[in-house]
Amino acid sequence: MSGPYSYSLTTFAPSGKLIQLEHALKAVQAGATALAVRAKSGVVLATEKKLPALAIPASYQKISVITDHIGVVYAGMGPDSRVLVKRGRKIAQQYKRTYGEDIPVKMLVRELASVMQEFTQSGGVRPFGVALLVAGVDADGEPALYQVDPSGSYWAWKASAIGKGMLNAQAFLEKRFKANDELEDAINMAILTLQETFEGAMTEDNIEIGIVSDVDQKFRVLTPAEIKDYLDEIA
Amino acid sequence: MDRNITIFSSEGRLLQIQYAFQAVKEPGVTSLGVCGDGAAALVTQKKVEDKLIDASTITHMFRITKSIGAVVTGSLPDGRAQAQRLRYEASEFRHKHGYEVPVSYLSRRLGDINQVYTQHAASRVSGCVVMVCAVDNVDGAQLFKIDPAGSCLGWSAASAGSKDSEADNVLEKRLKKKKPVGERETAQFAISALQSVLGADFKASEVEVAVATAGVFRTLSEEEIDAHLTDIAEQD
Repeated sequence: MSGPYSYSLTTFAPSGKLIQLEHALKAVQAGATALAVRAKSGVVLATEKKLPALAIPASYQKISVITDHIGVVYAGMGPDSRVLVKRGRKIAQQYKRTYGEDIPVKMLVRELASVMQEFTQSGGVRPFGVALLVAGVDADGEPALYQVDPSGSYWAWKASAIGKGMLNAQAFLEKRFKANDELEDAINMAILTLQETFEGAMTEDNIEIGIVSDVDQKFRVLTPAEIKDYLDEIA
Repeated sequence: MDRNITIFSSEGRLLQIQYAFQAVKEPGVTSLGVCGDGAAALVTQKKVEDKLIDASTITHMFRITKSIGAVVTGSLPDGRAQAQRLRYEASEFRHKHGYEVPVSYLSRRLGDINQVYTQHAASRVSGCVVMVCAVDNVDGAQLFKIDPAGSCLGWSAASAGSKDSEADNVLEKRLKKKKPVGERETAQFAISALQSVLGADFKASEVEVAVATAGVFRTLSEEEIDAHLTDIAEQD
């Protein structure tokens, strides 16, 4: 509790809504598009990363590794997402230390969602201005994809998009998604979906892609060279 | 309320952060940072309003460790607090881990610290932008900019303050032509760019310059700045 601010800043309106959460969602919707596609054998995370011309793309990663087998991408306020990434990493390590096993994706998601919910109810803090897409492959080989909202609600997806271009991206994905696609097909689908809402030319420096496959259960962010190969193939 | 503390406005924005960015421009000073090959330079205007002030006691440049330095733009008291925090974090890192903190880690740490102020009502957001630079033996010359929102990005050149957009244009154009190599070229690139942005030539007492080279960050003396200014004038 932050001293004199030991009261919640997020309170109910007469309609029963939590207005701060509606506003937080607007912050998410103003963010660059991020999307995810679950394949039979893994999950793909993809996002726009448009930086000013003088900025160095390699200095900033939107897609983060939480543990070996789980990654996350956000839409909304970057600095807020870093708090959740750090917490997620700690939570995963504590689980491993307690149980000797890698944390299952849905348990990590549950914990992260719980953190986000706390910030909607605790004193002196505002909700997070991000939505997260969490992707991973559990030890049993099942790929998992979850979305977490500023309210702390979470649910699993086969494919999803958040941020500015989410409506177009989701419409595109709904038409094209096939449940038993291979990971490679899912990567191509993710890139095509990003292109739907992308303004300007897409290059290996202004998008980011992360993948996790059930072959090695290792989540990793693709290098710009690898992204370029995919872009050249699609062109 | 959404104006006074960092809660969301109806458009999903944080007005306090927006206002903080205004506070950075308020003193009417522009600073910039440039990464060259093997060197990085920071430059800022030196405006001392009152002639009775001892100008030698006013500085916006801070040495954080032997090799890492920073310039703050905006509120100087806030900037000093940030510089002290950077020094503390660097010192803790060195003590805990046994080696010098990497500049990228230190910069991101300040970004994360600034983010906390944007989410907790008990403190206000910082009123300054900090540009941190160093040259290390892993990644060479690096420049990071940390703002009141908590963002931290690496830049090949960056600016802060009242004329930051003009400065970005000048920097982008000039860097496209040629990337400076070494301390002398990088320092002169930065000084010359700032002169161009402000549309006027400096006297050495009106500007502060600092450079980072392999393992060393130092602020230049007035004589050294004068020498650079003369060089630049002769080249034109």
